[in-house]
Amino acid sequence: MNMVRLDKKKFGDFILELSVEHAVYAPGNTGGKTDFIPVSSEDEINLKTLVTDLSPKGIFFPHSEVLYEYDTEGIRVPEKEAGKPIAVWGMRGCDSRSLLMLNKVFGSAIQMPDNKNFQDPYWKEKYDSSVIFGSACNMPQSTCFCNWFGDGPHSREGMDVFVVDAGDHYLMEPVSDKGSNILGKLTCLTDSLEGDAEAALKLASEAESTMVPPMDVNGLGELLNDLYDEPVWEDISAKCINCGACTFSCPTCHCYDIQDEGKGSSGKRIRIWDSCMFPIFTMEASGHNPRALSSQRVRQRVMHKYSYFLEKYGDFLCTGCGRCITVCPVNLDIREVLKTINVYNRQGITNG
Amino acid sequence: MGNYCVPQQMKVERIGIEDPARTLRTYDLSFVNDSDRDAFKYLPGQFCELSIPGKGESPFGIASSPTEEGFLRFTVNRTGSVTNEIHYLRNGDTIGLRGPLGNWYPVEDLKGMNVLIVGGGFAFTTLRSLLIYLMDSRDDHKDITVIYGARNPDLFIYKDEIALWKQRSDIQMHLTIDKPVDGWDKKTGFVPAVVKEVAPSPENTMAIVCGPPVMIKYTLPVLTQLGFSDERIYTSLERRMKCGIGKCGRCNIGSKYICIDGPVFSMAELKNIPETV
Amino acid sequence: MNTTNELRKSIKALIAEKKVDLFLAWEKGSLPLTATPLFVSTEDQADRAVFDVTCGNNLSIYFTKDRKQFANRKVGIAVKGCDARSVVLNILEKQIQRENVVIVGVPCDGVLDRKKVLAKTDGREVLELIDNGETVTVKGNGFDLLLNRNEILSSSCLACTYPDAQEYDVFIGDARGEVPNESRLKEIHDFQALSASERWDKTRNEYERCIRCYACRNVCPSCYCNVCFVDQNDPKWIGSTCDYTDTLIFHVIRNLHVAGRCVECGACQRACPMDIDLLMLNRKVAMEVKDRFGDIAGLDINGKPAMSDFREDEKQKFIMG
Repeated sequence: MNMVRLDKKKFGDFILELSVEHAVYAPGNTGGKTDFIPVSSEDEINLKTLVTDLSPKGIFFPHSEVLYEYDTEGIRVPEKEAGKPIAVWGMRGCDSRSLLMLNKVFGSAIQMPDNKNFQDPYWKEKYDSSVIFGSACNMPQSTCFCNWFGDGPHSREGMDVFVVDAGDHYLMEPVSDKGSNILGKLTCLTDSLEGDAEAALKLASEAESTMVPPMDVNGLGELLNDLYDEPVWEDISAKCINCGACTFSCPTCHCYDIQDEGKGSSGKRIRIWDSCMFPIFTMEASGHNPRALSSQRVRQRVMHKYSYFLEKYGDFLCTGCGRCITVCPVNLDIREVLKTINVYNRQGITNG
Repeated sequence: MGNYCVPQQMKVERIGIEDPARTLRTYDLSFVNDSDRDAFKYLPGQFCELSIPGKGESPFGIASSPTEEGFLRFTVNRTGSVTNEIHYLRNGDTIGLRGPLGNWYPVEDLKGMNVLIVGGGFAFTTLRSLLIYLMDSRDDHKDITVIYGARNPDLFIYKDEIALWKQRSDIQMHLTIDKPVDGWDKKTGFVPAVVKEVAPSPENTMAIVCGPPVMIKYTLPVLTQLGFSDERIYTSLERRMKCGIGKCGRCNIGSKYICIDGPVFSMAELKNIPETV
Repeated sequence: MNTTNELRKSIKALIAEKKVDLFLAWEKGSLPLTATPLFVSTEDQADRAVFDVTCGNNLSIYFTKDRKQFANRKVGIAVKGCDARSVVLNILEKQIQRENVVIVGVPCDGVLDRKKVLAKTDGREVLELIDNGETVTVKGNGFDLLLNRNEILSSSCLACTYPDAQEYDVFIGDARGEVPNESRLKEIHDFQALSASERWDKTRNEYERCIRCYACRNVCPSCYCNVCFVDQNDPKWIGSTCDYTDTLIFHVIRNLHVAGRCVECGACQRACPMDIDLLMLNRKVAMEVKDRFGDIAGLDINGKPAMSDFREDEKQKFIMG
């Protein structure tokens, strides 16, 4: 299937049509912040937002999620709501890519030691049936560094439909079979015109040209492994206050805690976002904490993103969306951290 | 087990008290559902998450051996809210269990070998599982040496069984306590020193080490010094494991998750992982 | 006078004379509108120090980070009026020793709240800020905005009466003195005038956005408990979800825990990634403490924090009924 057009005047119809068979999520405003929220009409959607304040991971991996409920009768996994599959509008490449990474953790079959394969049912029931309308990013921000890791602002990774905002209309192109299917069903679309594809390419190259050239991340994983014991981590982490603003706004951070919330004989077990920045994350019942120091925790976060995950799953656990840079209360800029490491390697290790 | 996030129900069959302060208790659990029991296959070294509704879960090494049928055994040290609650359980009460989780000691590789088991404190649980497992196929193994240390005589677990093992001629048992105490006629001193003193020749011997982090830290180099190769030393690591299925990130060290890639690692593997001990 | 230059000179002198091993200051951040903490240990590094409207961070948090990482070191610190009160509070609460700290006061005309600036730009990214004194100019891709200073200052600064450090070893430039600020408590009085259900709705609307990242707690110089009550699990005091019943309890207990200890620096509110109005209740509690006990947190190095002190003549109706 080829590229199609959606006239912006028909955007409202498009959302309504999409809503018939899908629970639609799109960037919207909540209390002065932007986040991906459930929407039922065009009016609730913020089409102007830059990278949303909160990442879309919460659609598929909510802050607090019930694993099961219990009472005196026993344990029940919440029935899958007779809900519709999820459709997301307006996910930039940095965000849609992040879903691929999370899917490596939650969605792919992890072989358990007893040879049974395990996939996370809570993630799968939402993600597998979802359809992602990605959004070509025409205006990267100064905090954006997606060009370090992925295909840049017009990346299609993790999308089912690639959408380009081309002025008074959107251009849509299927990326997956799921995407083809849904575009085939929607009636408010029209055929693309000659020159549309070129117009999209032009926007892509314009967007790319506004970005600062990337740091070379080849070999970053090995480099970090080499620096593991170096004192540079103390300098890097000196200003970190170990809050979880970075990890909670990150589209790829996925560590979680499991807690029981109950009263008397009934209650529920939930999983809740957790952060490797918190000292209690690794605190053991004995009082022993293998990562008691701030520098150890900052190192863990950086190593996990740019070395460990790469080694385990073949990709960096970072899409360069820049949210952690924007929210950090002390302006600990992850780009500066990686640059420091790069420079330190040249000066510190090779010379010393 | 379909959903590894949801516990199965177990019934408390027997409670044993391990120390005079009553902070260490041993629980024998049976499966409430026969289908759960039939599906549960494990090997020494694996662990389970035990859970109390409303309080939460904690990981515990399985102390029974798969050769012992009819129950699963866990020893629980009272340190936090979950273990507190477990200590309130009585016979017949139910408790949630997820498992078996994690990998196991290299039992196949122990066949035809001498085995050195080094343990400390109440981490002797999975080592008991291993020891029973080895004894139940005693002819498959050569000499078995056990070095077990505790802070004081009260803090050894499975004291009755230790007494029986000591009487057997086919196990060399060495018990040690940190500091001399009146009436103690066995060894005194930290585990690494005792290992140095009584460990068998590394020739055709596998060493299995499990204990508190500080014991592991100082015991591994002693074994290396004695001539054990990295492939012949195994240890079981402990971290604050939560999900047990390699996702929640708590037990992540290097590119490994202790809950699925471990908890048992060879010394050779440990050398490539940061922040292990 | 150029505050930044004077600050650099001061730091250099302190380091050269070996009066400090380390100096805590600010430097230009990696984003427009942002400064970042700077740890100076050599004279060269001092040239990176700045002080301007972006320097909101209350640097005294670092005294209690990682359980007193600077113990037994001579540490210098650049402070605004509110920051100085935090340093004093840390001294009164025996977290640091006065003789180990060199306090350098800087003249403060208020710091900006980045989120207030961004709220004015209709979602557009700000790339540059120029401070003109009474006004500031913000620039972005294809736009230029002239804003009144009061529109973008941190709420804490708009309510500030003590912009100068009251306790210091060196003061750079001219002190502003106590600022008469009649509208200082307006926001609180307005809140108090609301009906109970309106107050509840307003409070709930704020705190239900909380994502439990604890940035507010971790940037707070008065929040340094070894294990915060939200992190304790035996007993577990509150639930861990983002439901407002949990988040509200977290924030309200934190309010009460910093009663008489909150210096109203506004760091919590500026740090909040969810734009929650955290200052309102903190300031309300500070007002109560002042009314009941006559104490203003961290103002008097010879005083005692209100909650650590008892005087026979203080109001105690709440005890006696």
